[in-house]
Amino acid sequence: MTNNYVGKRVKRTEDPRLIRGLAHYVDDVALPGTLHVTFVRSIYAHAKITGIDTSAALSTPGVVAVYTGQDVAGKIGPVPCASALPELKVPDHRVLATDKVYFVGHPIAAIVATDRYAARDAVDLVMVDYEELPVVTDVEQAANGGPVIHEAFGDNIAYKLTSGEGDIDAAFTAADRTVKQRILHNRLAPIAMEPRGVLARYFPGEEELTIWSSTQIPHLMRTQVALMIGIPENKLRVITPEVGGGFGSKLNVYSEEALLGWIAMQLGKPVKWIETRRENMQATIHGRGQVGDIEVGFKNDGTLTGLRYSVFADLGAYHQLLTPAIPTLTGLMLSGAYKIPAIQMNITGCFTNKMATDAYRGAGRPEATYVVERALDLVAAELGVDPAEVRRKNFPSPDEFPFHTATGLDYDSGDYETALNKAQEIIGYAQLREEQKKARDEGRLIGIGVSTYVEICALGPSQAMPAGGWESATVRIEPTGKVTVLTGASPHGQGQETSFAQIVADELGVNINDVTVIHGDTGVVQYGIGTFGSRATAVGGTAVFVAVQKLKEKAQKIAAHMLKADASHILFEGGKYSLQAAAAASATGVSEPVVPVGQAPAGALPEPETDGKSNLTIQDIALAAHLAKDLPPDTEPGLSATYFFEPKNFTFPFGTHIAVVEVDHETGDIKFLRYVAVDDCGRVINPMLVDGQVHGGIVQSIGQAMYEEVVYDEQGQLVTGTLMDYAVPRAKHIPNFELDRTETPSPVNPLGVKGVGEAGTIGATPAIVGAIVDALAPFGVRHLDMPVKPENVWRIINGN
Amino acid sequence: MKLEGIHQLDAPRERVYQCLVDPEVLQRCIPGCERLEKTGDNTFAATIRAGVGSIKGVFNGTARLEDLREPEHLRIVVDSKGAPGFLKGSGDLDLEHAENGTKVNYSGDVQVGGTIASVGQRMIQGTAKMMATQFFTSLNAEAGTQAGEPPPQHGFFRTALRWFSGWLRNIFRKH
Repeated sequence: MTNNYVGKRVKRTEDPRLIRGLAHYVDDVALPGTLHVTFVRSIYAHAKITGIDTSAALSTPGVVAVYTGQDVAGKIGPVPCASALPELKVPDHRVLATDKVYFVGHPIAAIVATDRYAARDAVDLVMVDYEELPVVTDVEQAANGGPVIHEAFGDNIAYKLTSGEGDIDAAFTAADRTVKQRILHNRLAPIAMEPRGVLARYFPGEEELTIWSSTQIPHLMRTQVALMIGIPENKLRVITPEVGGGFGSKLNVYSEEALLGWIAMQLGKPVKWIETRRENMQATIHGRGQVGDIEVGFKNDGTLTGLRYSVFADLGAYHQLLTPAIPTLTGLMLSGAYKIPAIQMNITGCFTNKMATDAYRGAGRPEATYVVERALDLVAAELGVDPAEVRRKNFPSPDEFPFHTATGLDYDSGDYETALNKAQEIIGYAQLREEQKKARDEGRLIGIGVSTYVEICALGPSQAMPAGGWESATVRIEPTGKVTVLTGASPHGQGQETSFAQIVADELGVNINDVTVIHGDTGVVQYGIGTFGSRATAVGGTAVFVAVQKLKEKAQKIAAHMLKADASHILFEGGKYSLQAAAAASATGVSEPVVPVGQAPAGALPEPETDGKSNLTIQDIALAAHLAKDLPPDTEPGLSATYFFEPKNFTFPFGTHIAVVEVDHETGDIKFLRYVAVDDCGRVINPMLVDGQVHGGIVQSIGQAMYEEVVYDEQGQLVTGTLMDYAVPRAKHIPNFELDRTETPSPVNPLGVKGVGEAGTIGATPAIVGAIVDALAPFGVRHLDMPVKPENVWRIINGN
Repeated sequence: MKLEGIHQLDAPRERVYQCLVDPEVLQRCIPGCERLEKTGDNTFAATIRAGVGSIKGVFNGTARLEDLREPEHLRIVVDSKGAPGFLKGSGDLDLEHAENGTKVNYSGDVQVGGTIASVGQRMIQGTAKMMATQFFTSLNAEAGTQAGEPPPQHGFFRTALRWFSGWLRNIFRKH
C-alpha cells in the first residue's frame, strides 16, 4: 500500500459542485409535465374528522386531483415501523388521516395541481369539519390516565421495557451514598437545511416507477414503498440525488413518499412535493423527548456501585420507522465510560398528540451520555471532588478491553484516560481551576464542564438491527482504467465520495481523481442499508476495502499470467504488479521465492505478451481483463468485485470534551471562553472530514443545550413552527473549537475505524450544561434542564 | 392566551352599550368584518378577514353575547375557523362612567390553532391590541352619533386619523 491519501486532509471532491450551486437536489430535477402536490394538514392536535369538502378546491383552475384518506384506504398500506419490541403497540398509521387526526400537521388530503402556487392556494379551499377531542401533550400525563389517543389500546403506553444486568438492589445497598436527579431531554427538530422532497414518475408501458427522494436509506425505502403500494420491488427505482442533510430525519419511510409514487401511477404524470419549512417543523420526525429519573449509588471514595434510570419516552402520536427503538439505545449506553457493576433501565414509551420522535443525530445515545455525565457531576459535587477525578476513578483500563458492561455490550477498544489527560493538558486544567477560583473571588462566574463520553457506532451487527446491519460495495475498474465504486451506504453530506476514494486510491495505487464513488440509486447500486448511526465508513468503508482486496486477488492472477509468473511471485506495490517488487521484498526479508525478471517459471506460456514489461499497473490489467483475449483459465472477463460486510460487533468511539463558559451577572448571558474536544474515532481516513463532523455535532449540541426546543402548547398547537420561533444556533453563538484526537484502532473491522458522525452531539451537551451549572455553583445550583436560556440563569442569579 | 386593555370613549355609557350590542354597528367597527348576521337571541354568524403578519385569511364563525347587564357588562364568546387556523375564546367588557365619557375595560382568553399558532403566536398580542384600538376608535365615532342618524364613515385612514386626533386630545387633556 502506498498510503498517499488515507490519513491526509484531502479536500472534499463533493464541494466544488455544492459550493457553485451545480449540485442536484430533488427540487432541481425537472421533468416535463410535472404536477405539484401540496397537503392539507390538521390544525388540531386531536379531533374527529366529521367531513371533508374538496369541491371548492377541485373546481379551482389548475387543480387536477384531490385525494383524501378515504380515496387511498385499502390502496396504500400503512407507514412502516421496523422496531420489534415485546408487546409493542403499533397503531394503524395510514398515509392520510381517515376518521381522526392525532397531531397538528397530520396529513388529511393531497392536492395535485399544474403549478405549486395553485396547489398551495387550493389547500385553503378544502373544508375539513373537525370535532375536537381532549389533547394530551405531557408524557407523564399520557402515561397516567390522560386522554387516550388510540382508543383500541385502552391507554397511551406503547410499551414498557426493563433492561440491564447485575443485582441492582444489592448495588444500591452496597453504596455509601446515592444521588438522584430528574432530567429532561428537550424535544428537538432536526432541521436539515434541505427539507424533505419527493418526485415520482411512472412509465405505464415498462410498469416502472421511479421515485427521487431526499432520504438516507434508498434501498430500505424502495422495499417498504413497494410493499406499501403493492408493486414488485424491482419495478421501483429510488434515486437520492444530493441530500442536504438528514441527521436521522431522513432515516425513515414517510407517508408522502408512498403517496407520491401512488399518485404518479394514478395520473401517469410526474408529481413533485417539496416540503416547506413549516411542514418540516410539523411533520418531519423530532428527536429526543425524554423525561427520566437517574439514580446512582457510589462509595465514599467515588467508586460507582449501581445506576438506575427510569424514563418516560415521548413517542408522539404514531410510530415512524424506528420510534420505539430509540429509547432502547439509551438503555444500551447507560454504562458510559465507566465500570458500573449493576445497571437498570425502565422505559415507558408513551403516545402523545405530537409528531413522532425518531432518530436524530445520536439517537438515544446523547440521552444516555447526558444522564450519566450529569450524574457523575452530581457525584463529584456530593463528594466535593473534581468532576474529572470521579470519572478517572471509574474508567476501565485499556487492558480490560473488550470491556463488558452491565448493559450487555462489549466495548471493542478504548483508552479513556489518555483522552482525558490530553484534553486536560490542552486546556491547562489545573491552572484553569485556579483561575476559576480567582475569578469567583472577583465576582466573575466562570464554569468548567467535563464530559468523558463513549458512544456506540457502526450500526451494526445484523442481529441487533431491524433490517440488516451489513453494508455492500462494488469496486470496478473500467476498460479505460477509471475506478468505479458503488456503495450501498448512501452518504448525504458526510463526504464519503472523498473518503472512500481515498481508501480505494491507496489500495489500488491510482490517482484519487480516477476514482468515482456512486451511491443513492437503487437502479445502479447493489442493495445496501444506508448512512446512519455513524456507520458509513466503519461498515460501508470496510465493504469497499474488502471488495478492493477481492478485486486485487483477481488482478494478481491476471498479472501473473501476463508476466508469465506464478501469482505468488508477484507483488503489488506503488500501484504496480511486478516481479522486481517481489525480489525487492525478498531482499528486505520477506520470505518470497525470488523469480528474476525474464525467467518465467516452468509451465508458463511461451512468448511473453508484456512487451518486455516487468510490471503492470492495475489499469493495464483492467484493460486486459476487459479485452479478454488472453486470460488465465477459469478467469471471468472484467475486473470488479462485490462484497457485503457484516460486522461482528459495534464500535465504541470515545473522548473528552471540556467547555469553559462565563455567565454574565447582569443579563444571564452565557459566553464560551474555551471549548476543547479530544475525540477517538479509531483510525482516521480524512482528518478534515472528522473535524467537520465534530464541529457540526458540537454545534447541534450547543443548540440543544442552550437554544433549541420544540414547544407544543397545552392544546397540542406547535408554538415553535418556524425558524423565527425555533432557535438554532448561529455563527456568533459558536466558539472556536480546539480539537485533537487520540487514535485507538477498532478490532472490529480491518480498517480499524470506529465512526464519528454523532460524537459531537453525544459528547458535548453534558460538557456545556456541566460548565453552566459549575458557573452557577456559588448559587447552590447542581443541575439545570436544557435548553439553559439566559432567562433561567438570570432568575437564578436574581433569586426568582 | 390572555388579552386585556382599557379604552376611553367620549360617549355616555348607555350609548356605548347600545352600540356594542348592535350588529350593524359592530360590523362597521370590527376590522375586516365582512358579514355579521343575527341568527338568534344574542347569537351571530360572522365572516371576518383577518390575519397576523403574512398569515391572512377569512375566518367564519359564530359570536354569542352573554351575561348582559345593561349598561355595565357584557361577555362575548367567539368560535371561528379559517384557512390560517382557528380562533376561539371569550372576553368580558366592563363599562364604567368616566369624566367626559366611558371607560371600557376588556379582558379575554383566546386560543388559536393551525398556522396562526405556529407562525404568528408571538405577534398575536400585538395584532390583537392593534385590532382592539381600531375597533374602539371606530366605536367611539359611532357612539358620537345619535341613534337613527346616518353612521359615520370608516376606513383605514379615517380610523387612523381619529385615533391620532384622540391621542392628541388626550395629551392636551393631561396638560
